[in-house]
Amino acid sequence: MTLSEVTGIAGVAGDFTVTVKEAPRYVDMDKCIACGACTEKCPKKVDSEYNAGTGKRKAIYVKYAQAVPLKYQIDPLNCIRLQKPGACGFCEKVCDAGAINFDDTEKIHQINVGAVVLAPGFEAYDPKDAQVWGYGTMPNVITAMQLERYLSASGPTEGHLVRPSDGKPVNKVAFLQCIGSRDENLCGNGYCSSVCCMYAIKEAVIAKDHVPGLSASIFYMDMRTHGKDFDKYLERAREDSGVRFVRCRINGVEPQGTNGDLRLHYINERGRQVEEYYDMVVLSVGLQTPKHVLELAHTAGIQLTADKFAATSDFSPVQTSQAGIFTCGAFAGPKDIPQSVVEGSAAAAAVADLLAPARHQLSTEATFPTEKDVSGDDPRIGVFVCHCGSNIAGVVDVKAVEDYAATLPNVVYVERNLFSCSQDTQEQITKRIQEKDLNRIVIAACTPRTHEPLFRETLKAAGLNEYLVEMANIRNHNSWVHVADPAKATAKAKDLVRMAAAKVTFGTSLKPISVPITQKGLIIGGGVAGMTSALNLAEQGFEVHLVERTEILGGNALYLKHTWSGEHIPTQVAKLVDKVVWNDKITIHKGFEVSAVEGFVGNFKSTISSKDGVSKVIEHGIGIVATGANIYTPDEYGYGSIKRVVTSIEFDKLHELKEKTIKASHSFVFIQCVGSRETDHMYCSKVCCTHSVQSAIELKQEDPSRNVYILYRDMRTYGQREALYRQARKMGVIFINYELHGKPLVSENGPQVDVEVWDHVLHRPLKIKADMVILAAAIRPKSDAADLGKLYKIPVDGDGFFQEAHAKLRPVDFSTDGMFVAGMAHYPKPMEESVAQALAASARAATLLSKFEVSLDAVKATVDPEYCDGCALCVDVCPYNAITLVIKEAAVEGGQAHKIIEVNKAQCKGCGLCQGTCPKRGVYIAGFTMKQISSQIQAALAV
Amino acid sequence: MSFEPKIIAFCCNWCSYAAADLAGTARMQYPHNVRIIRVMCSGMVHPEHVMDALGQGADGVLVLG
Amino acid sequence: MLDTKKVGSVMIVGGGVTGMQAALDLADSGYYVYLVEKSGAIGGAMAQLDKTFPTNDCSM
Repeated sequence: MTLSEVTGIAGVAGDFTVTVKEAPRYVDMDKCIACGACTEKCPKKVDSEYNAGTGKRKAIYVKYAQAVPLKYQIDPLNCIRLQKPGACGFCEKVCDAGAINFDDTEKIHQINVGAVVLAPGFEAYDPKDAQVWGYGTMPNVITAMQLERYLSASGPTEGHLVRPSDGKPVNKVAFLQCIGSRDENLCGNGYCSSVCCMYAIKEAVIAKDHVPGLSASIFYMDMRTHGKDFDKYLERAREDSGVRFVRCRINGVEPQGTNGDLRLHYINERGRQVEEYYDMVVLSVGLQTPKHVLELAHTAGIQLTADKFAATSDFSPVQTSQAGIFTCGAFAGPKDIPQSVVEGSAAAAAVADLLAPARHQLSTEATFPTEKDVSGDDPRIGVFVCHCGSNIAGVVDVKAVEDYAATLPNVVYVERNLFSCSQDTQEQITKRIQEKDLNRIVIAACTPRTHEPLFRETLKAAGLNEYLVEMANIRNHNSWVHVADPAKATAKAKDLVRMAAAKVTFGTSLKPISVPITQKGLIIGGGVAGMTSALNLAEQGFEVHLVERTEILGGNALYLKHTWSGEHIPTQVAKLVDKVVWNDKITIHKGFEVSAVEGFVGNFKSTISSKDGVSKVIEHGIGIVATGANIYTPDEYGYGSIKRVVTSIEFDKLHELKEKTIKASHSFVFIQCVGSRETDHMYCSKVCCTHSVQSAIELKQEDPSRNVYILYRDMRTYGQREALYRQARKMGVIFINYELHGKPLVSENGPQVDVEVWDHVLHRPLKIKADMVILAAAIRPKSDAADLGKLYKIPVDGDGFFQEAHAKLRPVDFSTDGMFVAGMAHYPKPMEESVAQALAASARAATLLSKFEVSLDAVKATVDPEYCDGCALCVDVCPYNAITLVIKEAAVEGGQAHKIIEVNKAQCKGCGLCQGTCPKRGVYIAGFTMKQISSQIQAALAV
Repeated sequence: MSFEPKIIAFCCNWCSYAAADLAGTARMQYPHNVRIIRVMCSGMVHPEHVMDALGQGADGVLVLG
Repeated sequence: MLDTKKVGSVMIVGGGVTGMQAALDLADSGYYVYLVEKSGAIGGAMAQLDKTFPTNDCSM
């Protein structure tokens, strides 16, 4: 439901009535075919929201070229006709589909649902209000989102970076960080927006790719690249791309002369005044909750944090203060894409937990008539040529294509449709298939990537195998790209139809492949992530096996006391352990490890073994890896030899026990990044900055006269954690920045420890006499992660953490189907992120476990036993490990047994690398056989 | 008389075929001489197909993926 | 709690990458989903981005 807003929520968890107000679109979604004729004719131009004001759109428009739904809409405030009845109306006249409806009205819907998920997102901070950056008055000061559009091939300049003021090329660009973030004075947003450092680096690198020789500088306070692989990207940007990083907050932008150049004033790290000139200044604007979302929060009756984000607990990060109402994404605190996607899945898991009894209650599956067997029949091809309004017919002579198609071999029926994809034409095609006894179909229309599924359904509805259709893409690949040459476009359309007809002639009925699913989960690792996943799946109604190698549940959380927001970890972990232990759907295997694995998605068989040699075999449909991580044991800063040098975790324990040296200590020095962000371990451990700041605050609270120092490289109290950093500074904790080349020196000096560090404010070395030195030791991957990875064919990355399928869009899936990752096994992370990822893994797993079988696309590799001689060349190239070599018994008695390959259809993705490699035609891809491709080549070159 | 080459392009469904679709959506104009054959991955294209195309009169073969 | 009514459908407010992920996971596991989006098309902010870290994949 687009153009819709929630205006009211009534009821209780499990049974809400939500009022939704749907604004008029003035375009009939069922009729609009997104040809764009209306936009072309529309005389009214306005700033495009999608291009962040860098380009124009019309009053009738589609949000962007790839929009879903790809349907036009009229912006009533800018439409001439809607503002003045009787005027304009051009769009209505040119719309072949008759989709324009100026009388469309607002609709109110009352919808009954069991749960509500709020994912309304963020808005970028508008830097206009704070005038110091000249945004809105100096045209060459732009926001990062605007730069994003300038760099995009679909943007206003097609990816050419030029100055908005005069169109001149940009040679020197500056990025200013923390605009609208970490700034209570100018905008009131005290929090860190978490994503701007990373996007600024990315934009700087890409801008440098676009413009050879471009100089790009990023002015920042702390470089917060705490996500997975982010620090490596930072180093590459610095070393390989030559992006310049300047640690300094810029307070304003001034014009330099009258030609649009810009001047920045700042004090550099050596304490000198510097003035620099730039062609363009990019403001790295922060994220904030939009006003309409605050109203939504009020409507839903949910609580917000001081920073105006949805309030949640670290142990249930997607649950709002109202039962049955969940939240995820940037509304639950500023965050990047992977974390947002994780929370999207996590919210799904939380909903599924609540509504488990009502699963499948309202979802339905379509039914189709029985399929006709056409394998013995001669091909009878039907060709349907689509006009697509004027999209195709406006360029291609469709009548000529129709006449030509009728002359092709095996073609017995041809017709033209105004829109082949419309509902009524679908029904007509179904009827024609039955009437004319067609057994192969060619649709000459648009792209199979969007429309093949639709036409497959049409064939199914007619009782024909869905794989007996082929599309000729005479729109995207023809009429749209050869507008100026209708004769050549028509000739090409004929070629494309001929090629499709040739291919479909050799098409065969393919049977859908389905694999039964064992509706049980195996979870490896009994820490917070593993237990959370297990509990959620169990609450959803699935049986779960939880394997923990030690004798105790809880994992690393057992060493921790408080989350960043101050929640007491031991209490929460104890509650979680209780729930897991008492849940009768969860079987716990303490003291066991996975030792052998066979099978694939839906049908895994894992053997688990204990130290004393007991083993059990568990059958399961999915697996979740939540094996956690280790704490690094430092060998630097005198750790191990100087008694007063301890790690954060050791310090917490001593502090909690009120150990006497700590009680008597007066001077504390925290050293950050011990084992993180350097040569062999170029990643951020993510939790240590917040941890040290929290400890420092506690020490100051106990005794304000204590001297507490934190020596850091970049203070990474990201998101709403920034409040802790602010509080610590207010309380007098001293923060001293050091760089990798100037690490602090630690030496024993009697009962005390000398810590020497370069002071960037005083510009001389500083010696601190410390009573305690606390090392923020890194988080390390489990040393045997790769061994477990090999068993399930799941990879680990260069640092040794498990590698997800896609860094942005599939953050909890593995590329091996049916396997998921959660918690610190994936990357160091704080409690609420582990819990969110654990819930997400459960949600992803539930999409499989809720079915009795998975059905797979029939486009798969198939062995031809007549030609395959078992040379096994394909075994090595298969990227999905779907091919194995087996011994085939002799066909006749006394004959010789020989080798042959076997394809696991559940693992095969139909990529066809095997077909491209096989020298003997021993393996082929159903739907893309050698014969089919050859016939297309032949047809293409026949005329 | 000007030379009009015939080009066969094998395009991967997931990237280059999608890109050709997008070129259409963006109405980018290009010469009509190319005939696109959709494959599920450029790795699916057998050397024999390339030889086939050249042997049957194609002036160029593109494997895009 | 056990005998209270449970409706097998969910409303998701917001059609960005987060809302879409939640919608897909719920629809795939047997719930009817209403996805409510304020603007004319789903996609949210990610659809505006040119390329994304680390693979520089196109955001579409």
